[in-house]
Order: sequence, then C-alpha cells, then structure tokens
Amino acid sequence: MSIINSLIIANFTVPEKIDVNPQSILWLLPLVAAIAIVYKVTKTPKIKASSFLKEVVILFGSIVIFMAVTAIVLCAVAWLSTE
Amino acid sequence: MTQRSKEAHALFLILVGLLAWVVPGAGHLAINKKKHAIIIFVTIVLTFCTGLYIGSVGIIDSVGAKPWFIAQLMNSPAVATLGRMSQTGDYAVYAKPNEIGQIYTSIAGLLNLLCIVNAVYWAHLRRTQINGV
Repeated sequence: MSIINSLIIANFTVPEKIDVNPQSILWLLPLVAAIAIVYKVTKTPKIKASSFLKEVVILFGSIVIFMAVTAIVLCAVAWLSTE
Repeated sequence: MTQRSKEAHALFLILVGLLAWVVPGAGHLAINKKKHAIIIFVTIVLTFCTGLYIGSVGIIDSVGAKPWFIAQLMNSPAVATLGRMSQTGDYAVYAKPNEIGQIYTSIAGLLNLLCIVNAVYWAHLRRTQINGV
C-alpha cells in the first residue's frame, strides 16, 4: 500500500478529541446542512443554482430556529419543574 | 404497456435502485439527472466521511450497534467491508466522538435511502409520462 493511502486511512482509525461541552452542539450544523441539501435535491425537479441555494438556506434556517426554540422550551420546562 | 415492457420497466426500476444504493447519486445519473447526482454524491460521501473522521472506523459496529449499522449500510454495500474491518477491534472508539460519528454516518445512510426511493420514483414517473399511462 502506498504512503498516501496509508496516511488517508490513518485519518479514519483514531477518533477526534471532542469534549462534552455546549460547543459540541455546533456539530449539528454540518449535519443540518447535509439534510437540507439532500432533501431539497429530492424535491426540486430542475436545479438552478440561485433558487436552489435560497431554498436550502431557508430550510437550514428553519430547522436550526425550530431546534433552538424547542431547546429553549425544554430548558424552561426543566427549570420550572425543578424550581 | 405490454407485459414485456412492464417487466423491462420493473427491471429498470430495480437497476436504478441498486445503482443508487451501490454509489450514492448513481441512480439519478442513470435517469439523466447529472446535477442531482453530483450534489447527492458529494453531500452523502462528505457526511459519511466526516462521521468516520470524527469517530474512526470503529463506529461501524455490526455486532454491538446493529440498528446503527443497518442505517449505515444504506450508504453503500461497501460499508459491510468496513464493518468487517472494525470487528477486529483494532480501531479505538469511545464516548462523544462515537456518538457524533454514528449519528453522522447513520444520517448519511438514511439520506441515501431517501435518494434511492426518489430515484426509483422519478424513473417510474418518467416512464409513465412517456407512455401516457
């Protein structure tokens, strides 16, 4: 196996160091972007760059806002039930 | 549609579905949707590789995490090879990177499942529109 192949495979054999902190929630953003892109691809029969990008950004924003609102509501419920 | 053309159509739909499973986006390429195919391929492969990079090959666990493995398998049958590799236990995997890696790779698989269904649906729709059925 060539050195380049070994180096590429080596990147996938050791886990990254990710701490359990509020910043780790940001890992959801690339995933939401992937979901928004693929979902819009399946819903758009003919893709035009500008309108496609616009729709992806709107869906991405909607998902993130909905998740933020849900998180706030759940935090409020948890706070009210423990106070 | 005649019986023979119906059979050919069913075979074509199966072929599109299989292609879409083997290589993400290949099903759309088979029905001449190049832009769709490129976007699907890049997005799904990138999401899957990000998951592997975060958690290591060890996150593909066909024994200890079977439900996750089934979702990961939707990416491509090639994932089964990675599953066999990780069974050797040579690849470290733990805690948060394991969780995030599994979520990324499984979501990529489920997105590919959506694309497989979509490619088959469009292939069917195109044929029925051409035949006016």
